[in-house]
Amino acid sequence: MSKHTLLTLVAGLAILILLPFTQSNYGVFVLSSWLVYSISAMGLNLTLGYAGQVSLAQASFMGIGAYMTALMTMAGVPWPIAMVAATVLCFVIGFLLGYPALRVQHHFLAFITLAFNALVVLALRNEEWLTGGTYGIVGIPRPEILGLPTQKPLAFYFFVLALFVLMAAALYGIIRSPWGRAFKALRENPIRANSLGVDIRKTTLLAFAIGSSYGGLAGSLLAQLTQFIDPHSFGLTISLKVLLMVIVGGAGFFFGPILGALLIVLAPEFLRFTEGYYLMIYATLVIVLMVFCPTGLLGLVERARTALKIRQKPNATTWEAGR
Amino acid sequence: MTPVLSVRNVSKSFGGLRAVDNVSFDVHQGEILGLIGPNGSGKSTLFNCVLGQLPASTGSVLVDGQDVAGKRPCDLNKLGVGRTFQMLQVFPDMTVLDNIILAGQEHKGTMLSRLFGKPDAGLTAEALRMIDFFRLGHQTYEKAGSLSYGQQKLLDAAMAFMAGPKLVMLDEPAGGVNLTMLADLKERLKAFNQERGATFVVIEHNMEFVMSLCTRIIVLANGRIIAQGDPETVRNDPTVIEAYLGG
Repeated sequence: MSKHTLLTLVAGLAILILLPFTQSNYGVFVLSSWLVYSISAMGLNLTLGYAGQVSLAQASFMGIGAYMTALMTMAGVPWPIAMVAATVLCFVIGFLLGYPALRVQHHFLAFITLAFNALVVLALRNEEWLTGGTYGIVGIPRPEILGLPTQKPLAFYFFVLALFVLMAAALYGIIRSPWGRAFKALRENPIRANSLGVDIRKTTLLAFAIGSSYGGLAGSLLAQLTQFIDPHSFGLTISLKVLLMVIVGGAGFFFGPILGALLIVLAPEFLRFTEGYYLMIYATLVIVLMVFCPTGLLGLVERARTALKIRQKPNATTWEAGR
Repeated sequence: MTPVLSVRNVSKSFGGLRAVDNVSFDVHQGEILGLIGPNGSGKSTLFNCVLGQLPASTGSVLVDGQDVAGKRPCDLNKLGVGRTFQMLQVFPDMTVLDNIILAGQEHKGTMLSRLFGKPDAGLTAEALRMIDFFRLGHQTYEKAGSLSYGQQKLLDAAMAFMAGPKLVMLDEPAGGVNLTMLADLKERLKAFNQERGATFVVIEHNMEFVMSLCTRIIVLANGRIIAQGDPETVRNDPTVIEAYLGG
């Protein structure tokens, strides 16, 4: 990691630590939501952006994680066990959901994951004895860490921030490792990757499993953040929203989903003054971005950086300039 | 001495068409075997049967004496079989260095050690040597997709050799490569064969390339072996001339 990158990261972290002190309780809630959705989008970025496997089921994993945490903590199970169980369960279900990806790809796979999301929502809605049906579950407790409660928004924000940093660091480690290289190879050329010894089956299943476990943890945090969950919070619309975060920020870029989540979570707040026109403006902005920069905002930044460096160093190759 | 590759009575039928008909041959350590024949002679089908892409209708394929029927391409690679494809198959968005490291990393350690170990699986030095060997040193940190076609062919070959395979199957390595780059590719392949004792099987339409690279040639026509021997013998064989020119 270069000195410049390290400094940027330290500055970013400092902002994340100081920013909530300048915000109202609602502002802190919005920031916490952003971090929670960022974790979910980071997971989808691994599955889609790095490994190239389309998934429209990320919200269902958030739902599974959220309900698992809610049910366990309300039954008196300690929160760390509930959160780990929620994450592991989503890893296992994600692993199983990856099996169809071994046979179908692209839009066919998208439909399979979409159907899975619908199935989870139906189960959450119909199994009232367990999930509370459409009424959902109310009063989910927030964790107490070493005797310190996180009931107040600021305390819970720092709990979410700590997990966000941990999960981002873990993802960075995965992407830099040979696993990350194998994920990218799976995205770019699975046939060649297979001929070079990459076990396509395991790599595909792991991409789904790891991405889904991030969704599960995000759901677990969301349940504790809102302290109320219902099936509607994990429908297809939310899966599309998480997908939009990844695409708008830049799929396959490490910071892409974090930036995308920031925009998608904050856009409604900034566009509040437009009242009824909010969704129209929002949709128009997304269309414009996708038409002019399908690689997302970070793709746009990379293009600008490359163009600038080529101008400064005309003999540089594209890659050198983009470095 | 056990042959590196042994093809025994392999046949492959597609409905009523017998694309490969009872073909048998051995490839020994250090050999460069050329597999030639007119279009539709069954070369690619045979190649795919050997590499497990197509199941043979009858017969068996042994690598170092081990039957490889039903093995997946990744398992075959781990048994020491490298390959290149007729169409270019590099990872365009990854750097040349990452392409080469990827080609070797699956042979290092376990799945878990690859997650928690060094990001380059300890392969950077070896990868740089391989890149230099194939004269791509000045492109090490370029994205593979930005290389010229010929350079990508060299990279493709380098990837096939990175894991130190016992046998490398090259599918039309000269296809679409310009004359200068072709000479470079041939010279690098020969050097690899001589310096490291690597064994190749090459499918190729470029006769000059095959004749000057291979130590032995097998000629296929209508799914059968019609001639084999050293390049000079094959070149003058009347059945080969007839198969190519018709008559």
